[in-house]
Amino acid sequence: MREFLLTGMQWFIIACILVCIIRILTSRTTSGKLVGLNVLSGAVLAFLVLRGVSEGRALYLDVALVYDIFGFLGFLGIARFLKDKIQGESQE
Amino acid sequence: MSIETRWKLIRFLITALSMFGLWLIFTARFELFSLVTGLGGSFFVAALTYEIFIPRHQAGINFFVPRPFHLILYLFLMIFFIYKSSLAVLVSVVTGRVNPRIVHFRTSLKSDMARMVLANSITMTPGTITLDLNDDHLTVHWFFSTTSHSKVAGNEVKGEIEKHLKKVWL
Amino acid sequence: MSIREILAAIAFLAAVVFGVAGLAGLFRFPDPYSRLQAGSLLGTTSVLSIFIGTLLLSPNGAVAARVVVIMLFFLISSPTGSHIVARFTWNIGTHPWRPKSEEKKKQRKAGTGKDEAAPEENP
Repeated sequence: MREFLLTGMQWFIIACILVCIIRILTSRTTSGKLVGLNVLSGAVLAFLVLRGVSEGRALYLDVALVYDIFGFLGFLGIARFLKDKIQGESQE
Repeated sequence: MSIETRWKLIRFLITALSMFGLWLIFTARFELFSLVTGLGGSFFVAALTYEIFIPRHQAGINFFVPRPFHLILYLFLMIFFIYKSSLAVLVSVVTGRVNPRIVHFRTSLKSDMARMVLANSITMTPGTITLDLNDDHLTVHWFFSTTSHSKVAGNEVKGEIEKHLKKVWL
Repeated sequence: MSIREILAAIAFLAAVVFGVAGLAGLFRFPDPYSRLQAGSLLGTTSVLSIFIGTLLLSPNGAVAARVVVIMLFFLISSPTGSHIVARFTWNIGTHPWRPKSEEKKKQRKAGTGKDEAAPEENP
């Protein structure tokens, strides 16, 4: 039962990740892509935790912890870079 | 010892202790070498950054040190609020009956920490997202808006959360 | 089949329901703000349910403690990420989407748009 639950949830999360990637690829605006990326990062975190618990190894969960803490730095970089770019284009 | 020096010392110690707590959580081992390294490292980092971690004008111990019992109670309440508003968003996704709008309101919380936690809690519950936080002025995207009047909207969005948050921080 | 497994199954069922609704909302609404609201069903509630379920199913104390720490930091990091995306969308000047029927009803009722929350560009 335990194996079935954990494995089934992993497959569900993989399906969610695929749909999120489709969302990122099909949206046209930058904010739309960032929204998809935000949801994707939460799904990836859930997958890492599920994998670590189903294998029963604490080392995998350390990876998930670091991903959790530094995950949003990626958005910060993208948002900061693109904001300057978009504002520079609108000023010219 | 003047009051300025004492306040500097308190800020430094609180920064160092919170750094050491994080070190204990991350390493999760209690050998002598690990403890000494963590203590030295946290004191070094605290000496460099205590001015940024706790600004000078946050004059009061309850401005940034939470009351532990109320903090734990608040965490459980937060999980309850998340599930409650998730159900509302779930229904609205199925029926498509939404009224999104941007509202502005003010908060009566005093410390920077409590305001930051309030903004994060508003973003955390599905249905409301904080777009901007300027001193005590919040800009919120509200998914089920019934009004755009500042005070009424503020009461409906942050009322419960702010009431409990006032007990945790000042 | 123990009581912990039944509780974990309930948590996972909630995660599946909220996750499917979040994915549907990502495709259903037209503007980034509303998509962010619907996507936070998957990005926050579903993930939190999965954490609760894995906490119940964890094999030993070390794993359970790590899951609790991850949960605590998730409560900080998840709204930070959403806020960065929302603030970026607000700062580049995207207007929020209003449903068509609501707007028509309002115009018929009031005539003037004094209720309209016009988003001001902040300095």
